[in-house]
Amino acid sequence: MIFHVAKKEIKETFRSGQFKWMFGIVAILSLVAVFISHKHWQEKNLQREQAQEHARELWLAQGATNPHNAAHYGTYAFKPQFPLSLIDPGVEKYTGISIFLEAHSRNEADNVAAADQTGLSRFGDLTPDFILLFIVPLMIIALGHHSITREKEQGTIRIIKTQGISNGQLVWGKWFGNYIPIALLTTFLFILAAVFIQDFNWKFLATMWLVYLVYFAIINAITLVVSSLTSNSGISLVMLLTIWIVSCLAVPKIASSYTNEKYPYPTRQEFESAVAEDKKQGIDGHDPWSEASKKLEQETLKTYQVNRLEDLPFNFDAFRMQKGEEHDAEIYFKHNEKLREVYQAQSKVYKNLAFLSPFLPTRFMSMSLANTDYATHWNFADLAEKHRVEMQRILNDNFAENSKLGEWNYRADASLLSEVPDFQFDAPKFNEVMSSNQSNLLILTVWLLFSFGLLFFVSTRI
Amino acid sequence: MLHAVNLTKKYQESLALDNLNLSIEPGDIYCLLGANGAGKSTTINLFLNFIAPTSGKAIINQIEVSKDPQAIKKLIAYIPENLVLYNELSGLENLEYFVGLAGMKYHEDEMVNFLQEAGLQDEAFKKRVKTYSKGMRQKIGVAMAIAKKARVLLLDEPTSGLDPKASNEFSELLLRLSQQNVATLMATHDLFRAKETGTDIGIMKSGKLVEQLSTEQINHSDLEKLYLNHMNS
Repeated sequence: MIFHVAKKEIKETFRSGQFKWMFGIVAILSLVAVFISHKHWQEKNLQREQAQEHARELWLAQGATNPHNAAHYGTYAFKPQFPLSLIDPGVEKYTGISIFLEAHSRNEADNVAAADQTGLSRFGDLTPDFILLFIVPLMIIALGHHSITREKEQGTIRIIKTQGISNGQLVWGKWFGNYIPIALLTTFLFILAAVFIQDFNWKFLATMWLVYLVYFAIINAITLVVSSLTSNSGISLVMLLTIWIVSCLAVPKIASSYTNEKYPYPTRQEFESAVAEDKKQGIDGHDPWSEASKKLEQETLKTYQVNRLEDLPFNFDAFRMQKGEEHDAEIYFKHNEKLREVYQAQSKVYKNLAFLSPFLPTRFMSMSLANTDYATHWNFADLAEKHRVEMQRILNDNFAENSKLGEWNYRADASLLSEVPDFQFDAPKFNEVMSSNQSNLLILTVWLLFSFGLLFFVSTRI
Repeated sequence: MLHAVNLTKKYQESLALDNLNLSIEPGDIYCLLGANGAGKSTTINLFLNFIAPTSGKAIINQIEVSKDPQAIKKLIAYIPENLVLYNELSGLENLEYFVGLAGMKYHEDEMVNFLQEAGLQDEAFKKRVKTYSKGMRQKIGVAMAIAKKARVLLLDEPTSGLDPKASNEFSELLLRLSQQNVATLMATHDLFRAKETGTDIGIMKSGKLVEQLSTEQINHSDLEKLYLNHMNS
């Protein structure tokens, strides 16, 4: 009986001019969004690959050089562009894609796309995630707001009620009738994206598709709840549009403002002065006269039981440089951990506020599965820092082991540069992503059960 | 087949139906006459279980309507004044849908037979209902009753607004169903049609059944006089 109702709803929907226009427009938008995103994705990917290759070439092209000069010359760590970022670019636009790796400093990510755009970027880009998160819910509302109210307004509900079908069967039939065209549209968009994307992981794509289907199932249920409770299609539409504005626009902004207010990040100036202050307390690799350097000198002489730095079996200047690097790395680690704590506190509040709207857990999961969320960026920045520390160690060790004190004109063989490995950042594993999204999954499940429960309850009151 | 036993409906202080007693046997066409607000539609709604009685019983086939509405739905067919159907579907598809809601499934040929039996022109079967006249829509309602094998027809002013030809065709359909032992309760303002089609007539005023008679007992003009007497008293 449920599918009998659903079949009729789908037949009616596909025949209505309103749906044909709506479906056509959304399908064209999806096509354009995927096409444009793919074009941008390819361009950016090519630029990134070329830049990465070029950076490596420049690094190796230094030839025989002083290791510390090479350390200051530096190189870049590039964040790879993951395939599913074509569907959901997440926070990529704001986080930057490359980090300059050099001696003594942990740099922030650079090449922030948003910084290169004009004020028009405030309007946002036409991307598949925009269609999925904002446009498709509107389409569900447009299709479903009069699903039950129209039966009441026209009087067909009286005929239906005399036929023997239960209210529950009628409502669930209508739920499927509205949902199936939307599920088909969503599937079309994902298939389209899959055709364009190459070398993607099916598990990630299929899970992202399922997450959006759950999101739409919730919105469809809420739409039918409102349509069941109201007796007028106009009122139903206004109520549902209000719900859409609150859940898709207001709640994310309120959540963002609230978390920033409750757990604010330090300003760049505050962060840098705190780092500089702590750095002063330890060894500066370039300052042999500081108290910390003198202390290191004494300790090293004692350890190696020699009286002069010249008698050490390594170049103490390079050794001090490495100790300075290690100290700096600790300072950066400490201050970045503080930032991470703020990020984690913000994330926690955000996740708790996700109960307010199914939009938030869907948004988080979508970004996470596309590897375009903040967590992925943090991992990239951490890994780039580890790479930087390791790079400095290789260079300083070579300098220390192959030269004498004061031998600043020492040149290491060009092969040393090849010993510094290429930076490699891989996408997190599927299980890791799912495990870090347990709370989002839970909230989406709660929303699904709640909306279905509500629909079941109101179906008894038509 | 269809009985009202001291059936009463009150809305706060207003008495919509006052102690109604009537019996309709299989094959009977009982026409309820009366002005607007006399209680005709309230009576139909009580038999449909759209509203609950304040007291008394509405009984169909020995089942009290409010006690087992699901069992009643299998027996009845309802045609309102304006049968609204789904405009984007054809007559055949509308019939298939509504009959399906009653848990019945027929082959397309059988559906076509039902529509033919209801008097709908063959060329209209597959046309979208938005092109149908009111009379054609009412015929879909009759086809629904035939397909459902309804034993009771509840009609709420079904011929209101129909042209005389369509109204006459509708009456003929009711007579054909009556010959198949379908019991019909019809609320109407059409005295002529009630006399022509009905087997029994009940006149209602202010929620009360003030007159009951067989159509064989009275001619057209006497019925009109009787009706006006009651309305003016």
